[in-house]
Formats: sequence, structure tokens, C-alpha cells
Amino acid sequence: MRLGLGPIDLHDATRDSLISLASQAASSSFDAVWVAESRADGAGGGLAAAALLAQVVPIRVGAVVDLGLYHPLHLAEDIAVADLTSQGRVEVILRMATAAQRDLLEEHLEVLALALSGAHIKWTGKHLRVPAGIEANQPTPSRLALNPRPAQPVVPIWIESTEAWMEEPARRLGFGVAARWGPDARVPEPTGRWPGLLLCPTDVEAESLLGAAGDRAGYFVVAAPNPHEAAAVGRRLAGPLRMPEFPDWINADTFT
Amino acid sequence: MTLRLGLGIFGMQSVPQRPDHHVKLYRDVLEDAEIAESLGFDSIWLSEHHFWFDGYCPADVAVAGAILGRTARLGVGTAVMLLPMHSVQKVADDAVTIGRLGEGRLSLGVALGYRDAEFDGFGVRRKDRGKLMDVALPRLADACAAAIPPVPLYVGVATAVAAQRAGRLGLPLFADSTMNPLELVEMLAAYNAAAGAAGVGAPRHHALQRDVFVTDDRERDWAMLLPELRYMRRQYGGWSLPQEDGEGIPAYLERLDADIEVKLKNLIIGDEASVAERLREFEALGFDLIVCRSQFGNLPRESLHRTFAGLGRVREAVSQ
Repeated sequence: MRLGLGPIDLHDATRDSLISLASQAASSSFDAVWVAESRADGAGGGLAAAALLAQVVPIRVGAVVDLGLYHPLHLAEDIAVADLTSQGRVEVILRMATAAQRDLLEEHLEVLALALSGAHIKWTGKHLRVPAGIEANQPTPSRLALNPRPAQPVVPIWIESTEAWMEEPARRLGFGVAARWGPDARVPEPTGRWPGLLLCPTDVEAESLLGAAGDRAGYFVVAAPNPHEAAAVGRRLAGPLRMPEFPDWINADTFT
Repeated sequence: MTLRLGLGIFGMQSVPQRPDHHVKLYRDVLEDAEIAESLGFDSIWLSEHHFWFDGYCPADVAVAGAILGRTARLGVGTAVMLLPMHSVQKVADDAVTIGRLGEGRLSLGVALGYRDAEFDGFGVRRKDRGKLMDVALPRLADACAAAIPPVPLYVGVATAVAAQRAGRLGLPLFADSTMNPLELVEMLAAYNAAAGAAGVGAPRHHALQRDVFVTDDRERDWAMLLPELRYMRRQYGGWSLPQEDGEGIPAYLERLDADIEVKLKNLIIGDEASVAERLREFEALGFDLIVCRSQFGNLPRESLHRTFAGLGRVREAVSQ
């Protein structure tokens, strides 16, 4: 089981609030700290904010980013560079732009996966053509590639599945599947070696998370509004998620 | 007016004469940012290009985020972001958010771009870049001005036409390193005329990029620099002048090198006193920020840090 803190909403975050939460995550045994852009509200820079945090904390850094609002090669470039500056500690959740059509989103996923794979790309679809081969541009390449590549051989990327169709391209293209916590939430099926990911509220209990995972691994990203709550979440969840039959006395004693 | 010095521009390139893995190159630029801050530089500036074999940095704002996390006072700028290839809404959203997280230390420099292959990668007609810029620049300027804190926005220019576009909007310039003092004077005149005609209160101070190398042993360092400078100029020149069908490599290199001597004449190389004197000449033209490029490819770290230290002493001298 893995435990992340966040995602921290970038819409109103300050440097101090971001760093204090991230520092607490590192001090509370979280595996990663996550931020979330929301371009519908004018908050971008998810991967740059993750890159910022990677210079402050030694744990992994995640960014929830919007897909479908701009060219997927720019997104691939942002992922690669954020991963390089963090020396290979970046994780990503893709959130589909609600206004975008399904076929456009699927094409963006295809091109993103191709670019991050290191392939020399030639893509012709309904919405995207890479390279475009526009006659007025001379010379134009017959193929192109993402360069530089990310530090990690494969950057862990999940798709937040809000509609049933999204799981098929996720699994086909090697992305993990993420879902939101709910009354009967289950950890999504793993994709290859990526466990399903659940975005959880602050007050979630370890027993509920373990129940949602069943016999599988789960990656739980848990929200916390402030460092105090982050410490409480870490204390409540980190031990029970990492080893079965967690002894109650460990969290009952303050060790002071 | 106090003359400020920035360090840059950094492209994190794995150049053929001294290749490195990009994990190391990005670790190095973060170290260089710390050095720049410790030496009192105003800012560090990052460069953008796409789909090039040496991995030229394609995502400046992501690097800027890392530098803002690593440093506490240093400004970070893009020099320059190739705006017509981007979604202006994405650029604005990124800048507003990272500007806030950087507590006002982020600046944006934006320009047209010129390499056809880059435009084609993003499905943009290079010939449309001017029209795209005309639409995008006012939107970005509004977003940067409304941001809390505001994000300073510069317009990268190498021609009078580009300067006139900036002048009509009253945006400060980021002048290219290839322009000589006479060209800079003519460009500023065109800028001021355009601003006046548009009834815009244009800023009187601008930014300038210069290739600068501080050395106490010119002969030693020139031998080290020449392959780097030649690669850099061939690369940029080659993007404007692609190899033609049937053109052999020797003939192509000869064509690329034809104006190298002219371009290299703009390089400021010398001891601290002579470099300071040259930089003050640009201050007199109206430039209050000079971004000094000493990293021309991937210089040996020791040599690079030696020139940074010398430039740090130049900074102290010119800021008094």
C-alpha cells in the first residue's frame, strides 16, 4: 500500500502553505505529496509546482493536471522536465477536461503515451497530426521525438476515471486508473505494476481503505487542510497500510 | 536607474563537444542558480526550444518552479518562451500560479520563434506567428498585470518590427544578443515611435541579453570557448538557414560560418574592469537589466564557475 498527501489545490495556495504541508507529509511518513491544478479556475502550473516541492522535500511529488486543453506534446515536455529537475520523483494524475470531446481526449492520451515512450512519433488522427506536415513550414520533419526524456524509464501516470470509457485507453496505454472515494469505493484494478489509486477525504479510516483494496495493493492520496491534520492522517494511516495486523498500542502511546 | 545583472541563458543542452545526461544537466542548473543567488545576481534566465537532438530545454516554467523551490531571493525568467507555439491560456495560468508560489520572483520573456520544425510539431504555420502573437500578447499582458503579485512580461526582439509590436502595447523589451549597439539604438527608436503613435506610456528601461565571459587569461579561455561558440552559432544559424537539398556538409558549414565572425563581435570577453565598462555602455542606451550568457553549451563546471565569480564582482561594480 502507498500513501500520498493531497492533492493540494493550487488555486489559492501560497508558497508557505504549500511548503509547510509538503514538509509535514515528509515528516509523517507519506510516500508522496500531491498538488492539483484546476485550469477551469485559472490555476495552472501543476508540474512546475511539483518541481518546486521536489526541491524542498525528499519524497515523491505528484501533480494532478488537466488533459485536453492544450497540445499533449507540451504536457509531455512539462512532465519530462519536472521529472528531470526532481531526479526522477514525479507522478501524475490526468484529469480529463470536461468540455472536451471523448475522441479528442483519447487522441491526446495516445500522443502523450507515444511521446513519453521515447518513440519517434508520427501520428495522424482526427484532431492531431504530429508532425503536422504543413506545407508552408519548410523543412518539416517526417517524425519527431520528446527530448529530453524523463529521468524515470516510465513516469507513473494515472487517469482519473470519471466515465466508464476512460479505463480502456488507460489500460491499453499503460496508465494507472484513479478514482474518487465514495460510499462503496473500491481500489481500481491495477494496470501492469501500477496499483489503482483512490483520492480520499481527510477523515478516512485505515480499515475502510484496506477494505477498498481487498486483496490488491492500493495507492491512497488523502487530503489534509493543514499540517496538523496531515500529521494526524499520517499517524492514523501509515502504519496500518504498510503492515497487516497493526498493533493498536503503537498509536495509543505518545512515547513522551 | 540601477543596472541589474542576470545570469543566463540556460538551455541544459547535451552538446556534441561535451555530452552529459540530462539528469546531470538539470542538477547543474539548480546548482548554478544557488551560485547566482549567493553572488547577488538579480535573476537567472532559461531558454526554450523543442525537438532538437541535444535536448534543448522545452519547458522553462517547469525548471523555473524547481529554481524557485531551491532559492529564496533570486528572480527566474524565461528568455524566451516561444509564445505562438503555446496555448496562451496555459501560459497565463502557469505564470499566474507559479508567480504566486514564487512570491513575485517569476518573469516571462516571450518571442515569436523561428524554426519551422518546432512550429510544425505543434501544428502551427510559421507564417502565422505574427498574427498569433498579435492576439496572444495582449491577453498574456493582461493576465500578467492582473496577477497577484504581477508577473513582469518582456517581449523578446531582434528586429524593429517586433519592437514596434511591443511598443504599441507598452511592454518592455528583451533584446537579443545578436544586436549591436547601433541596431539597438535604431530598434529603441522604432519602439518609442510605435508607443508614441499608439498613445501608450512605454517603459523607459528594458532588458538585454549579451554573451559575456569574464577571464583573467583570455588566450586560455578563448581556446576553450571557441568550439562552444561555434556550435552555438551554427545551431541557431542552422535553424534559420536549413541545409538545402544536395548541399554538402562542407558547403553548408561554410554558409553557416559566413556571419559567425560578425555575431561573435558582440561577445564581451575580458577582465572585470573591461567587462564592466562595456556593460555600462548598454545601461546608457536604456537597459537596466543585462542577462549575461556565459554558458554557451556545456562548459567545464570549474571554468563556468570561475567566470560566474568574476561576473559577480562585475555586478558589484556596475550596481554601485
